[in-house]
Amino acid sequence: MMRNVTTRVLNRKMTPMEKFLLAIMAIYIVIVASQSPKFFSLETAFDLARNGSGAMILALGCLIVLISGGLDVSFTAIAIVGGYSSVLLSRALGVDNLLFIVAGAVIIGALLGSINAVIIHFFQLSTLIATLGTASVFHGAMVILLGSKTFTRADVPQSMLDFGAFSIFTIKEENSQYGLTIFFPIVIAVGVLTWFLLYRTMIGRSVFAVGSDPESASRIGINILRTRLFVYMYVGALSGLMGIIYFSGLAYINPAALVGTELGVIAAVVIGGAKLTGGEGTILGTVLGVVLWQLFQNTLVHLGLSSSFNDLFFGAVLVFMLGFIYLRQRQANKRALVFTSN
Amino acid sequence: MTESPILSARGLAKSFGGVQALHGIDFEVGVGEIRCLAGENGSGKSTFVKIISGVNTADHGTITIAGEEMTSMNPREASAAGIQVIYQDLSLFGHLSVAENIAINRMMHDGSRFVNRTTMREIAQQQLTRVGVDLPLDAPVSSLSVANKQIVAICRALSMDARILFMDEPTTALTGREVQRLLSIIIDLKDRGLSTVFISHKLDEVFEVADSITIFRDGAKVGDFAASDLDELSLSRHMTGRDVTYNRYVREQTDDAPILEVAGLSRKGNYENVDFSIRPGDIVGLTGLLGSGRTELALSLFGLNKPDSGTIAMRGKQVDVSAPWVAMKHGIALLPEDRLSQGLFPAQSVAVNASATMLDRIVNKIGMLSRPLEKALADTIVRELQVNNRDTSTPVIHLSGGNQQKVAIGKWIKRNPSIFILDSPTVGIDIGSKSEIYEQIHRLAESGMGVLFISDEPEEIVANCNRVVVMHAGAVDARFTEDDVAAAGFKEQLIHAISAPRHGGDVVIADATAIDAESQSKGLNNDA
Repeated sequence: MMRNVTTRVLNRKMTPMEKFLLAIMAIYIVIVASQSPKFFSLETAFDLARNGSGAMILALGCLIVLISGGLDVSFTAIAIVGGYSSVLLSRALGVDNLLFIVAGAVIIGALLGSINAVIIHFFQLSTLIATLGTASVFHGAMVILLGSKTFTRADVPQSMLDFGAFSIFTIKEENSQYGLTIFFPIVIAVGVLTWFLLYRTMIGRSVFAVGSDPESASRIGINILRTRLFVYMYVGALSGLMGIIYFSGLAYINPAALVGTELGVIAAVVIGGAKLTGGEGTILGTVLGVVLWQLFQNTLVHLGLSSSFNDLFFGAVLVFMLGFIYLRQRQANKRALVFTSN
Repeated sequence: MTESPILSARGLAKSFGGVQALHGIDFEVGVGEIRCLAGENGSGKSTFVKIISGVNTADHGTITIAGEEMTSMNPREASAAGIQVIYQDLSLFGHLSVAENIAINRMMHDGSRFVNRTTMREIAQQQLTRVGVDLPLDAPVSSLSVANKQIVAICRALSMDARILFMDEPTTALTGREVQRLLSIIIDLKDRGLSTVFISHKLDEVFEVADSITIFRDGAKVGDFAASDLDELSLSRHMTGRDVTYNRYVREQTDDAPILEVAGLSRKGNYENVDFSIRPGDIVGLTGLLGSGRTELALSLFGLNKPDSGTIAMRGKQVDVSAPWVAMKHGIALLPEDRLSQGLFPAQSVAVNASATMLDRIVNKIGMLSRPLEKALADTIVRELQVNNRDTSTPVIHLSGGNQQKVAIGKWIKRNPSIFILDSPTVGIDIGSKSEIYEQIHRLAESGMGVLFISDEPEEIVANCNRVVVMHAGAVDARFTEDDVAAAGFKEQLIHAISAPRHGGDVVIADATAIDAESQSKGLNNDA
């Protein structure tokens, strides 16, 4: 039954990774719900949507990079640099307008992404090394040029405070009320846009082709530079958007935040089935990976466990599940007498 | 040819950094002609194809396509003029679907921005129908067999309105039946006006369908020949510039006690009830079509593919070869089928590769690896095997195929194995190196080693083996004793035994279908 539904909705079968993630999630939800009745509620779901929005946007960008055969670790730095510079610009100009601030962050993010693409393309550097370098350069340059002053609620632009507090609908209960954040539809829109770009445009198919085999891609006339520019500018733009969502949600602007959390995002995408070797990865897998990560992060308290357990659980799932799936694949290869490392 | 040629090249010359790669080549292909382009590695074939396809530009000479002289040409213009090249690696995208692989080129050139799935499937289906093959449009290409991947590559070329199709070594990875299917497709396309240029250095099925053959040697054209005017000997002579005759191997050892005895060896789905033995000085040929179980058997003897039942005995003592290191302990060595991915560390130096099996012999007193000892060992191997490149610090990947194979063989012979299994030792190797490798194998056998020589090529078996086992569908189908091998007409008998097995029926071997199901269930290529 479920297979029929997924086949119809996705137009394909689910990958083993996606099935595992769904199963783990279901088991986890049942366990937590049986321990803590308050857990299984809309309020928890809404909290999760609010807290996980930023991670989901970054993960979708990260997915495109992984499919293209790259590994970007500069997206958190770009999120901070894009968001922080845009806020400073709006304060300097006295323009307290959300659209302006978002546009500023997105444009700065895309520009920084294009720098990544150009460096990777012309110096033929490994993407990890290039972005490891640019992450420090971007963040360092921002601190030197713009400073690293934090802004508390009173100094955060009003439009961002409104944005962070806005709910698309609220549910009132006797002594509390909670709502679904405006971030949620934005995340959905980003997901749909990413899906459309990857699966319905030639540039998206080029990303898969370049990730599968760059040499063959250039032989059939795919412009590798253009494809890379698209990939890194897109992830840059998404990072800029995420920076504003992140600051707005916290109502506190700290330019030292976020940087250093990129490996968590990459882990969530990898757990969703994207491969570091390029050419493979799915949006559904990424979404499930991020949801599982955020579930652990936000709901372990219901089991009375500290947030340290989040890392433990998530890491264990990552290692065991990937280990199991690759083992199965290796056994299949061995049966077919293919002796390769992956 | 009365009709004007579709492709005509005049006086093409090209040099790279002072080295003349091509000297004034004239080349013509008529409409609907099938032409073979033959030559050893380094004879200029690939440079020529790169110029025709616009990847490189010629220093001198003209290219005329359908009467129109091309002044400058980049890959896109060559493609627009109807030239399509199918490289040996096929240049497909494993993670994309059949339909996408076929249509992506067409859609790219049409300047589409969006993926219209209906159009995409239409383009793909149209080409598949044209070649008369039915493939699942949504399956990822990585799940297809090599033969079907080739079909996808052909369809992709056809979708670009190809007028001349260049195919680089199209049949090396195909089984006999698959080759026949490929050739019938090409002949069918020929009748509809498509010209094909096969690039090959092997006298094989491809030559049978060719109308004419052009031979290159050392960057110059030796001449154009009718296929019927050439035989193996004259082809080799034209390609190498000398008479290449292989000395036939005759066993002179007198010790008839077998080193290796295999009895009733079976592995479900791979091979069944295989018996044979190897004495000192034997070169036992093991042949049969791809999928006959010969490679699977070889892997079992080296501990990489555990047999279900049967026995393997070394010098009369039964052994359990459970892993490659156990095989090595018993004196068994294997030269794998694919030297680059299985037999060598391509990015490492010749010295590292040559000494890889003998690390215990290149350590100094305190047990650390010694560079001077490594180099000394590598130097002897390089000398003994006549590797052309004497600099052992060169990465193996930069050597020619023949020299790579010499290093791969060399790394074993210093261990002095008693049984040496050679799986397809001369695939993709030019004729000159081939005869050197044969001589080396003969010397090893003469010194008392037992050799199991796996090969597709009857000529090679005839030249090297004193006994032959032919497998089909996992079972031993025919055997030839020393007397049979020495008798006149052996080669014809052998060819007949390989192509017309006594036990008919389909080969039941675990093939790509096992992974097919696996990767299809991953379904990574459709949506979201």
